Amino acid sequence: MPITSEHAGRRYPPTRPYRVSAEKIAEFAGALGGVDGGDPNPAYGGERPIAPPTFAAVIASRAWDALFDDPDLGLALRRTIHADQRFTWQRPLCDGDTVLATLTIDSVRTRGRLDWVGVRVDLDTTDGEHVCTATSTLLHTRPEEDAA
Amino acid sequence: MSGETEPARTFVASAVTVGDDLPAMVVRLTRPDVVRYSGASTDLNPIHYSDRHALAIGLDGVIAHGMWTMGTALRVVTDWCVDPARVVGYGVRFTRPVRVPDTDEGVEVRFAGQVTAVADGVATVTLEATCGDDKVLGAARAEVRLD
Repeated sequence: MPITSEHAGRRYPPTRPYRVSAEKIAEFAGALGGVDGGDPNPAYGGERPIAPPTFAAVIASRAWDALFDDPDLGLALRRTIHADQRFTWQRPLCDGDTVLATLTIDSVRTRGRLDWVGVRVDLDTTDGEHVCTATSTLLHTRPEEDAA
Repeated sequence: MSGETEPARTFVASAVTVGDDLPAMVVRLTRPDVVRYSGASTDLNPIHYSDRHALAIGLDGVIAHGMWTMGTALRVVTDWCVDPARVVGYGVRFTRPVRVPDTDEGVEVRFAGQVTAVADGVATVTLEATCGDDKVLGAARAEVRLD
């Protein structure tokens, strides 16, 4: 059963709480680079490290599972391309934050076998503080039998 | 990596002007670096380590994560503004994949940025990421709080 514009507005329950740790921040900053090493910005270490801004994707991507697990939509990760990504931050993610990721389908456009699915993931602490919004366009190719 | 030997950097927010060029950066990326990003990001899609899987979906071979390119490009901004907490927004389109050959040399990605707007206490930096002749990010813009 393919995804349609009728699914815009569908919101899923939040993911399990994700605990941001100094160790994971260091590992992620260390991977933002190449043979000469990762990102040495001192803000990502020390007493109270903050996470590199795009660390938000590590948590947001957990919420995408809901999309691929929803039998109403007929989406498959292996047929999906990440077309664009945007983040807005109220503040950086920090060591010690416990974060919930909540996914909403914002828009669906279909032409032939291609679905453009606009999704939004809100990242909020378990205390209810909004930290970041991650919006993405996912380009999905339908199996041939589902062409619109 | 700890930054202990980093020279003190300065960022004068009041002096930021449209047209300012940010220091460019060249990153050489090899397969082990891609695997490191897979683990750190928990994105274990096999197209980022297996040529067989990459070829199966029509790629020429293993590619870097789009989010690696997005995240590493932002270093141009955070190296410049020193405090990553100043970054309040950032968006990109993923226009071309970065193919990473299974060689010791890997591939070079070049990153550059320029201030393209200053308004309401926020500077917009437009970023470019190129691999060979390919622009691998499109419409890449970060918003940096200046106050």
